[in-house]
Amino acid sequence: MEALILEPSLYTVKAILILDNDGDRLFAKYYDDTYPTVKEQKAFEKNIFSKTHRTDSEIALLEGLTVVYKSSIDLYFYVIGSSYENELMLMAVLNCLFDSLSQMLRKNVEKRGLLENMEGLFLAVDEIVDGGVILESDPQQVLHRVAVRVNEIFCMPP
Amino acid sequence: MLKKFDKKDEESGGGSNPFQHLEKSAVLQEARVFNETPINPRKCAHILTKILYLINQGEHLGVMEATESFFAMTKLFQSNDCIYIVYTFYSLTKDMTGKDDNYRGPAVRALCKITDVLLADVLLRPFQPASHALSSLQTTMLQSIERYMKQAIVDKVPSVSSSALVSSLHLLKTSFDIVKRWVNEAQEAASSDNIMVQYHALGLLYHIRKNDRLAVNKMLNKFTRHGLKSPFAYCMMIRVASKLLEEEAGGFAELLDIGLVWFVLQLFCSSPKAALRYAAVRTLNKVAMKHPSAVTACNLDLENLVTDSNRSIATLAITTLLKTGSESSIDR
Repeated sequence: MEALILEPSLYTVKAILILDNDGDRLFAKYYDDTYPTVKEQKAFEKNIFSKTHRTDSEIALLEGLTVVYKSSIDLYFYVIGSSYENELMLMAVLNCLFDSLSQMLRKNVEKRGLLENMEGLFLAVDEIVDGGVILESDPQQVLHRVAVRVNEIFCMPP
Repeated sequence: MLKKFDKKDEESGGGSNPFQHLEKSAVLQEARVFNETPINPRKCAHILTKILYLINQGEHLGVMEATESFFAMTKLFQSNDCIYIVYTFYSLTKDMTGKDDNYRGPAVRALCKITDVLLADVLLRPFQPASHALSSLQTTMLQSIERYMKQAIVDKVPSVSSSALVSSLHLLKTSFDIVKRWVNEAQEAASSDNIMVQYHALGLLYHIRKNDRLAVNKMLNKFTRHGLKSPFAYCMMIRVASKLLEEEAGGFAELLDIGLVWFVLQLFCSSPKAALRYAAVRTLNKVAMKHPSAVTACNLDLENLVTDSNRSIATLAITTLLKTGSESSIDR
């Protein structure tokens, strides 16, 4: 018999993905061994994309995992957790990532803008999730921590 | 590989991707500018981004390639030192205890990643004579890490404290005995005003104590009495409590009578937010596995969800109804 509850744990997020409108990977971070090889990961991404890119709903049960997602112009954002996970916590991560990016890019969140700010994206994800644990869910905090570092790297005199 | 990218570029027209034509060998070649003085921060940061992008795309760096790039990157710390690992270590501890709060959290996390590798190494081959010099170095580093970590856990800056707590959690896997000595600091952090710090501190405490039922019970009692500020921490503690209940009473059927639970679930069922409807129907589905009769009260709500535009919700609603439904509901 399946367990009714999840073993209490801080490890909440299994993966964060950003795909473009062809379903190709722009960003992917897997936090456990559910999909150990790049091949399996890409197959999973393909499956997820084919099942979600034409719907505007925000949550799905796929391959036994809870997937919360949202799209913007030509981008698809996914946060993935166990099917026993609290959906609202996964939503909090998705919203935090999306809101941080939309404020960071200061305009519509789309592929071109994101590619021009990859370092911001890498830093932001590192502030939101650490090894599968939700580190911060407040976009203002994330933005503050990322912005300071990006500015210091890029505005230093050569 | 390159050809395929070219084709796509033509097809998608304007949507150019500055990282599209990256080739691993070329980027690693570029990374040699890390060795130049003076350093051009902008250029170097851009090359680092390119390397991260490649790794993110699933590109595999060989051991040699990775080592070379790592040593090149450590040069960015402007070091003339020859023992790079140690140097990186000390640069990080310097950042970790420095004045700039925004560097301290990330430095703690990076330091613990390195520590984790070191510890795994010590544990794997503690008695090999060849590595004797290295292990004594590791022991010294560990001692200073322990001092820094204890300070960082109780730091006033939330990002530092959270980073230290979560890093300690990761370290538990390789070095439980070391991390469990930090319980007092974690305990102090658990009464923090910051919701994330409280969540991480409680989580770490639970992970350390989860095999000691008495300690878990005490922890639960304490926080149900004083209350928690963090919704995430509440979520965690509810799970801890229900696990204890299930172990002790062999289930929590008696809780199912609580009217408020059904009220909230019914409210969620008709929410415009798909995530809430999904959460409700998934919960009902789980309960129906064990106590189908308890769920019949929500049958009407479930029937409305059968035609939900979200397929996962509709499917869950149907499977739940199959467990609880009666003939009278077939017509509807």
